[in-house]
Amino acid sequence: MFGPHAAYIIPSYLVTALTIGGLVFWTLMTHRSRLAELAKLEKQGIARRARNPENG
Amino acid sequence: MNETAIKSSSLWDFANPTRFLGIASPVIPWLGALTAALFAAGLWMSFNAPEDYQQGQTVLIMFIHVPAAWLAMFCYSVMSVSAIGSLVWRHPLADVSIRAALPIGAAFTLLALVTGSLWGKPMWGTWWVWDARLTSVLVLFIVYLGLMALIRAIEDPVIAARSLAIVTLVGSINIPIIKFSVDWWNTLHQPASVSRFARPAMDTAFLYPLMVMALAYTMLFLTLHLMNMRNEIYRRRIRTLRVNAARQAEGA
Repeated sequence: MFGPHAAYIIPSYLVTALTIGGLVFWTLMTHRSRLAELAKLEKQGIARRARNPENG
Repeated sequence: MNETAIKSSSLWDFANPTRFLGIASPVIPWLGALTAALFAAGLWMSFNAPEDYQQGQTVLIMFIHVPAAWLAMFCYSVMSVSAIGSLVWRHPLADVSIRAALPIGAAFTLLALVTGSLWGKPMWGTWWVWDARLTSVLVLFIVYLGLMALIRAIEDPVIAARSLAIVTLVGSINIPIIKFSVDWWNTLHQPASVSRFARPAMDTAFLYPLMVMALAYTMLFLTLHLMNMRNEIYRRRIRTLRVNAARQAEGA
């Protein structure tokens, strides 16, 4: 598969998949940790103008 | 208040961080699904495209390299427009937008460099050449890294926002240099074959998969940009809550 240039085509797709996958994973994990941190702080009763993180 | 003033006031309200979250959060899953569908279609079309008479199967690398290079520049253009918004109108979401786009732009630029190098070795016989196109894209990557270092180095959010916007605008001079480098200088990199005024110099068997992949990359950028903007707004709220907590502790 991919002929004589497989050694260049396969790494290209692998690097792309890993970079995009890593970027999506990092973004999702950051979102999760920020929501958890917000919930923790608001649970401690620290005042902010709007309390719900989704609605501000 | 006249009609223009009412309109601009409404636009300003529309773009405040709280309204932004209210709109972005339900839209993100749909954008994500559309991106996945476009990637599935684009990859299917790419792997079913015929071999190029000159490039052979390395044309497959073009379907991921060219959109990455386009997005590297598109992302910086979005940052430059946001920088104007940040400096001129002090728009609350403009600085958020620049910061959110930074890691995405850096990733796309890195992908353009790596996949370009992997294509260059079998086609040009070299991994790298210091010609105008390749060098200017490397400079773009360094600019992205520099901007990421800059926001980590400045603690004051107001000074950080202004510095980021100014340096982003200074760096935007590199975008037309990248775009026209193949016309202005004699480079190993081939000139534009899709984004030009005349008919694209590419057979539709390659043009269609390339266009679908470019659309998939663009939707990926939009999705990740919205997600990162949301994360950045949350980071600022966490910071505010921590400052408030410190104030409450001081007052107790």
